[in-house]
Amino acid sequence: MAEEGKMNTEHLGGVVRLREEHEKVVRDCDSRLQHWKKVSGDYEALNERLQTLPDQLSYDIMVPFGPLAFMPGKLVHTNEVTALLGDNWFAKCSSKQAQKLVNHRMKYVKREMDALSKTKKNFEARAGFAKDLETISASKGDCIDIREEEGNHDAALTKGKQRIAHKPNSKPKCEAVLDLKEEEEEEEDEDEEEGRDGGSRRAVLTEEELWARLDELEKQEELRDEQDRLSDTPDMNGEDTSSLSSEEEKDGEAAAPVNGLGLKPSWTSPHSEAPPTADRKEEECDDDEEGDGSCLPTIFFSHTVEPKKVRINTGKNTMLKFSERKEQKEHSKKKKKNGHNNGHSLHELHKITTPTDIYRLFVDVKNGEPVPRKSILKSRSRENSVCSDTSESSAADFEERRMIGRSFSHDELTHSDTSDGITEEDSPTAVPLHPASRFEAFSGTVVEKDPMPSAVPHLTIVPPALPTILERKQEEVTSDAPPPEQAPKRVSKFKAARLQQK
Amino acid sequence: MAEALQKKLKAELEKYTGMQKDVSKSMSARQKLETQLTDNNIVKEELDLLDGTNTVYKLIGPVLVKQDLDEAKATVTKRLEYINGEIQRYEAILKDMEKKSEQHRELLSSLQQEYQRAQGMAGKV
Repeated sequence: MAEEGKMNTEHLGGVVRLREEHEKVVRDCDSRLQHWKKVSGDYEALNERLQTLPDQLSYDIMVPFGPLAFMPGKLVHTNEVTALLGDNWFAKCSSKQAQKLVNHRMKYVKREMDALSKTKKNFEARAGFAKDLETISASKGDCIDIREEEGNHDAALTKGKQRIAHKPNSKPKCEAVLDLKEEEEEEEDEDEEEGRDGGSRRAVLTEEELWARLDELEKQEELRDEQDRLSDTPDMNGEDTSSLSSEEEKDGEAAAPVNGLGLKPSWTSPHSEAPPTADRKEEECDDDEEGDGSCLPTIFFSHTVEPKKVRINTGKNTMLKFSERKEQKEHSKKKKKNGHNNGHSLHELHKITTPTDIYRLFVDVKNGEPVPRKSILKSRSRENSVCSDTSESSAADFEERRMIGRSFSHDELTHSDTSDGITEEDSPTAVPLHPASRFEAFSGTVVEKDPMPSAVPHLTIVPPALPTILERKQEEVTSDAPPPEQAPKRVSKFKAARLQQK
Repeated sequence: MAEALQKKLKAELEKYTGMQKDVSKSMSARQKLETQLTDNNIVKEELDLLDGTNTVYKLIGPVLVKQDLDEAKATVTKRLEYINGEIQRYEAILKDMEKKSEQHRELLSSLQQEYQRAQGMAGKV
């Protein structure tokens, strides 16, 4: 603390000097500004005089004769003015021309004044900041200096023993990443809490504190779960996640010199989530699906009611029933992942709260491995897509998108819609919707091939101005169904993508 | 030993101050050139505003000498170029001097340290 005190005084002295320097500059600017103002005033007067001078052929004036005497005289040739152009150059010109010269000079003066006033403002601001800094460092008022020091790597090493350099396609283990995230959060949290205590951040909390902290976190977890339940996640959130989180916390506690669990491990908190994390979680989602058949990589948002069944008119006098359950079963059959990682319902994973979540959830599946997609905005080719039967599913997709679009237009929110409820523009659905082999009426998968309706505000590009009225939709379904049918059969996937984007 | 150091220190200090003066001189010369530059720029622009009907005079001492407009323009342009060249030259000189003064400053500080050490030792003894 003594060091801090010393630093404060030094800091204070430096800041005071800084402020003084700034103020000096401001004063200097002020004086220069005054000078230019005077000059400007002089030129104005001159302008006026030049204007009135040629009114008469000659004027009767008192001519100054030396410093003390005047003599009556006449001012003649009133239109002839010899003007100093600068640097010992003179020019004889009419008063009008002289006026032009004067105006030209005024412009220059104005320019200078503007520049000066700008610098003055600039330095005034700087002086203000310096002043604030002074008050802050002098007395720890409302503002607290937040300082974060390095040196947490030992804890990181011990705790996250499975931590490896993540490549985009690697899948680190759940616990390790969670632990690390936890740690990161802890670190950040702690730093903020403790403020200036440089070295004391790594102090181990006592057990009681830990337990108290655990209780706190559990409560938070429950609160969150309440909220999640409200936001229509169709199955068990709370217990699993809370149990998981408490598990995690206990893990964290046991594993290493605990730094005091900061935030609870929040599944969906961004914190530098890399695609591998996303991939892994995605995987686990799929695993979960296998087991539960209840989680989907859907985007859950509030105030939507997730339609479980949707009737889609494919325009061929067939009605497809899109059933969520069906799709889930589909996925569970299709996806054979590494097996259950943690059998927790990783519902939290499906909840998208930040953009990183989107990237986490929407990944490609290549060779049965989730690969983070580079861009969720790019349209996908048919081959990469999930749809099996282009004709049907394209129509179905289209209709599906209509539904989505309609819901968008209603609420301007992306709903957790049938299969994806994705706010993707043209791209196909996320990985789990993959049943490529089932050629049936409607496999329950929705592939968004065509551009989203224009109702979606900012996420769509090239919306073909789709209406939101159901009747017109049906029209357009029929009209648009044929073209998409034809297109993919003949063109390459890149061209298809391009066509879609049009 | 200490006195020798002290003398050395004094000498170096004088050299350093001399250098500083040179630097400031060059800087002021450069600033003068800058004002002349702006001046000449204005003159050039104003000459462009005039046409051939006006007579242009040049002040040489107490005499106003009539000049041709085109001649005047040419002269002013040439002067501008000359001023620019001078400014660059001065800038180069200034940089050079700055470097030298830096070196000198370092030398000075090291000498000072030695001197203080020597004094300390002498004090102890």
